Amino acid sequence: MSAKEKDISGSKTMTKNPSLILDDEVFLRMNLAERIQHIVLITTFLILMLTGLPLIFYELKFLKPIFSLEKSFYVRGILHRVAASVLILNVIWHAYYTIFTKRGRNNFKELLPGLKDLKDAFELFWHNLGLMRFLYRKGFLKKFLEAHPYWLFEKAPEFGRYNFIEKFEYWAVVWGSVVMIISGFFMWNVELSLSLFPLWVHDIFVIVHGYEALLAFLAVIIWHMYNVHLNPEVFPMSKVWLNGKITGKELRTLHPLEYQKILEERKERL
Amino acid sequence: MKRTVVLRTAALLAAFLMFTPLFFLSSPILSQSDEDCMVCHEDPELKSGDGKSLHVDSEEFRSAIHGEAGFSCVDCHSDLREIEEFPHPVKLKAVNCGECHDDAAKEYQTGIHIQASPEEDCCAVTCADCHGKHDIKSTTDISSRVYPLNLPQTCESCHLERVKTKRGGEFIKQYEISVHFKALEKAGLTVSANCSSCHGAHDIKSVVDASSRVSRKNIIRTCGQCHVGIERDYLEGAHGKDYVKGIKDVPVCTDCHSEHDITSPQDLSSPVYATKVADVCSRCHDDEVLARQYGFLTERLKTYSGSFHGTASKFGETRVANCASCHGIHDIRPSVDPKSSINPKNLPQTCGKCHPGAGENFAQGKIHVVSEKTGNKWAYSVKMFYIIMIAAIISVFLVFIAADLFHRLRHNRAKP
Repeated sequence: MSAKEKDISGSKTMTKNPSLILDDEVFLRMNLAERIQHIVLITTFLILMLTGLPLIFYELKFLKPIFSLEKSFYVRGILHRVAASVLILNVIWHAYYTIFTKRGRNNFKELLPGLKDLKDAFELFWHNLGLMRFLYRKGFLKKFLEAHPYWLFEKAPEFGRYNFIEKFEYWAVVWGSVVMIISGFFMWNVELSLSLFPLWVHDIFVIVHGYEALLAFLAVIIWHMYNVHLNPEVFPMSKVWLNGKITGKELRTLHPLEYQKILEERKERL
Repeated sequence: MKRTVVLRTAALLAAFLMFTPLFFLSSPILSQSDEDCMVCHEDPELKSGDGKSLHVDSEEFRSAIHGEAGFSCVDCHSDLREIEEFPHPVKLKAVNCGECHDDAAKEYQTGIHIQASPEEDCCAVTCADCHGKHDIKSTTDISSRVYPLNLPQTCESCHLERVKTKRGGEFIKQYEISVHFKALEKAGLTVSANCSSCHGAHDIKSVVDASSRVSRKNIIRTCGQCHVGIERDYLEGAHGKDYVKGIKDVPVCTDCHSEHDITSPQDLSSPVYATKVADVCSRCHDDEVLARQYGFLTERLKTYSGSFHGTASKFGETRVANCASCHGIHDIRPSVDPKSSINPKNLPQTCGKCHPGAGENFAQGKIHVVSEKTGNKWAYSVKMFYIIMIAAIISVFLVFIAADLFHRLRHNRAKP
């Protein structure tokens, strides 16, 4: 397939026992509960963005017709609050799922960020750039790079069940949900907010709600859409979010460390 | 001796008083009766040399106010009194209504209608143009041309097309979309403002004439004829106080409400409709020159638009606060005035109109935040934090994506 695959599959430990994990074996990456949580998140996120972002860009003329119908601004507010409520329920469900199911707890452990993730990000970037290999070929820094071949970034880093990109996105959603729910709650209940805080604090809620929304919107449009749609590896779309399935081959190429872990478990069982 | 003189004088006086009315009443009979006139003027085909109809409908005349009062032709066409040969060949002089209606005539002398046509001997607009000729009715008669319900049509008969005023017929016609006209036309309310309510009747003057009822100097009083309570509120507010001082930049009724096309503030087309008020106020309150001259703050619209109130208002939400919701309508007062709705002491009450239970926290902060940097340091820090964070994160994303695509592109090309 791609060059990346070759790089990763070059790892010897992984090709040793190919019969233990067949390339077309199906693994469950997202179970039904996780998929529903994700779909609810997509739906509510879209509605929240559509009914919220125009308020940030109130000066754009093309947005005006959308809200020129009578009551449309009122309906916007209702939709935004309904979507927010569903999102809050989704978050509560996810928290419950994470705490009270074995799979949830395991996923959570796998999602915990570590130093390796920073290293992975750093290495993948330099590997993709190939600058050091280019310099080496041109004869620059020859001595240094022969003594420290790490800096050639010859191999792409190997990822576990969740790579640094996925971990970042997960924690971005966690952070974003907390910030948006708290600030949104006080904007929704402005009388309550102002009975607790002075106006200037409430103003911060409004600012935070807007900028966090902008950040979330850009992150999803640029980062998430690239990683699960536009990336040539998965283009036009990774179907994991629909069927939850990942093949042995995909596991081996995209999540080699998880692949290895499963392989070892099976070897032990033998 | 003395007694006889007195008696004689009294007898003479009595005789004079007795016969004088008879003399005057009989004089038409002595010269021409109405019947004499009607011999010719009854003919509907009767025309003058230049084709104008000279027909007089005697029925119409007799049901009109002068006919009912028993006037005869020569009472008004006084120059006929001397003529004895008929048909009278000469064109009669214009009737001088001022012989009897001297108050109206005096007012008319000061108005614009008498000056309207300097090149002609007389006035462009005569009594008859508005009141009619033989069919003049009392102004309290519903069929009178100048009865409130009919006056707009009477004025418009000239002012829509024939008479070019400075601002054109369209400007005049705008009256027809006004709440005043609707009240007149649809609700039949004769107390609603018609043309003469604002412009006067016989002494109509140009708006640029300071003595005109609709000049900036007098418009407050003119509108206040009916809107008494609003005039009082206005004069108590900041605008009214400056108006009394003669400051010409101060807004008067028409600056906010428009002129002929005044509509209800509940009407979407009104300039003071809930979602449009901000535009009206900011015409002056965002004006740098006026702000310097009179020492008020600018960027009121920008700072309002940036708030939820302003944003929602821009999207057509009428329930959110506009300028008037907080600052008041006609009696807008500066915040230092203890009676002002935006005096810090009164803010909880003002905000409480929409936010039940609004407490003192509503006053702990600024509404029109020109710059968070000076107005709300914490908000400014948070905002800057976000701007830097968003810029940084998105840049990292883009760099990573670029590197990834670069890598894939190179290796795909390397492959045959």
